[in-house]
Amino acid sequence: MLVTQTILIGILYFISQMDGFFGTSLIGRAIIMGPLTGLIMGDVASGVMIGGTLELAFIGAVSIGAYDPPDVASGTILGTAFAIKAGAGPEVAIAMGLPVSTIMQTVIAIAWGLLPTLFMHRADAFAEKGDAKGVSRNMFVAGFAPIVAVFWIVPAAYYFGSDAVVNLLGNIPEFITTGMDIAAGIIPAIGFAMLAEMIMNKKVAPFFFLGFFLIQYFGIGTTAVAIFAVIIAIVIVQLSSNQPQTKQEEDGFDDF
Amino acid sequence: MTSKTELNKNSLHERQVINKKILRKVFLHSIPMEHSWNYERMMNLGYCYAMIPALKAIYGDDKEQMKEALQRHMEFYNTTPYVITLPLGISVAMEEKRAEDPEHFDTSSISTVKTAIMGPLAGIGDSFFWGTLRILATGVGTSLAVKGNVLGPILFWLIYNVPHFGLRYWLTFLGYNMGANFLTKVQESGIMDKLTYGASIVGLTVAGAMTSEMVYMQVAGKIGTGDDATKIQAILDGIAPGILPLILFGIVYYLLKKKWKPLPLMFLLMLLCIAAAYFKVLVAVE
Repeated sequence: MLVTQTILIGILYFISQMDGFFGTSLIGRAIIMGPLTGLIMGDVASGVMIGGTLELAFIGAVSIGAYDPPDVASGTILGTAFAIKAGAGPEVAIAMGLPVSTIMQTVIAIAWGLLPTLFMHRADAFAEKGDAKGVSRNMFVAGFAPIVAVFWIVPAAYYFGSDAVVNLLGNIPEFITTGMDIAAGIIPAIGFAMLAEMIMNKKVAPFFFLGFFLIQYFGIGTTAVAIFAVIIAIVIVQLSSNQPQTKQEEDGFDDF
Repeated sequence: MTSKTELNKNSLHERQVINKKILRKVFLHSIPMEHSWNYERMMNLGYCYAMIPALKAIYGDDKEQMKEALQRHMEFYNTTPYVITLPLGISVAMEEKRAEDPEHFDTSSISTVKTAIMGPLAGIGDSFFWGTLRILATGVGTSLAVKGNVLGPILFWLIYNVPHFGLRYWLTFLGYNMGANFLTKVQESGIMDKLTYGASIVGLTVAGAMTSEMVYMQVAGKIGTGDDATKIQAILDGIAPGILPLILFGIVYYLLKKKWKPLPLMFLLMLLCIAAAYFKVLVAVE
């Protein structure tokens, strides 16, 4: 049982690190990895719930500019696996997952710092010879080398840490789990603040408060707010354009 | 702008070697763009790899030309991966044009154009994909997932990736057909500014909504005694619902502006929450 789970966790973490290979389609995010870990641990519903909660805790963790984000996938997989094994909830997964993500961030930064550059230089040498096949081959190796170098750490941590972590979780004083439960509601604020920092400027700042209080006073849910936001955005952009350029814009986006 | 998805056969290219099939291959090769991402030249190897189907069609067995072209596209490149096919399409059109008349074509313009488009494209692409579309997908996905609904992760992936792959595919053809003239055309029309403005309105409104829905805290304690006691939380809700999370958001936003790192901030908040639970200042919701 433990061995099968370890192997499956290894495969899952390997795939999560291939996000770049699959078009950066966000397969390594917590909301995807949580449910799949749940599947391995035999409790999909908990996996979905934990994945959703962790996704919010990690919402700011995307690599934009120079910011090196924590490794969401390792924290989610181990956090979810340990939480399900101990019969605990999302707050335990966050408490377990965050430190794991931080440690793996460092390990990954080292592996990704060294290995792809190495193979990129080999591709350089093939380009100099006009050998397109050699370039292609090194494109693949450059991406897989760092994954192969580090992925085994996560299943190993699961295999060797499993019992210890579950025992530890059983002996945690109640105020700490309550504290983590409170933290689960507060930590997403960091992610949203990072996000707002990215798109906020004086021209659009009021819309943040519009979204916030629409929910507080009317409780209509995020999807409903998103629909209204799209309508408002279209109206405002049309009002603010002096020239009738909108025709062209519509043309461009009907095409695909 | 009537026939953008059709290949422009007359004006730009006399000796056409690029066809739909090859452009589709360029699109497919663009998918692992960030697979070989490296700190030195970032997307360069991915870019070169994606150009290969087109370069093979254009230069064929001409080793000398192939060598120069491969080296040309091993230069530094970095932008939002989802829109990479726009510069790729432009590069393909320019390489094809160059092959018609290598003597008189300014080869350095291939690099100049792709570098010029890199910055503006990253600005628009990052804010649209990371700031708007991902937030929409996360908003819809997590609101279902936290209730244990499997549709959550599925919708999250689809909402993000259906527009992503659609746009990535379409931009290959748009880039190719517009060739090097693309940049000037777009800047003159002002379309991009409007799109960015509209996208940031949607992104920020949804970010506000999600902050409202997902960030929560509740204070313990009462004022007065016995049956007359009023909960402090009830008083705060009377002032404005959600005022505590909003203040918290403001503080965190301010600290990030002051160059605090997100991770230490996260651990600090966790410690404060544990302390708050110990001294019973805050209570867990539900």
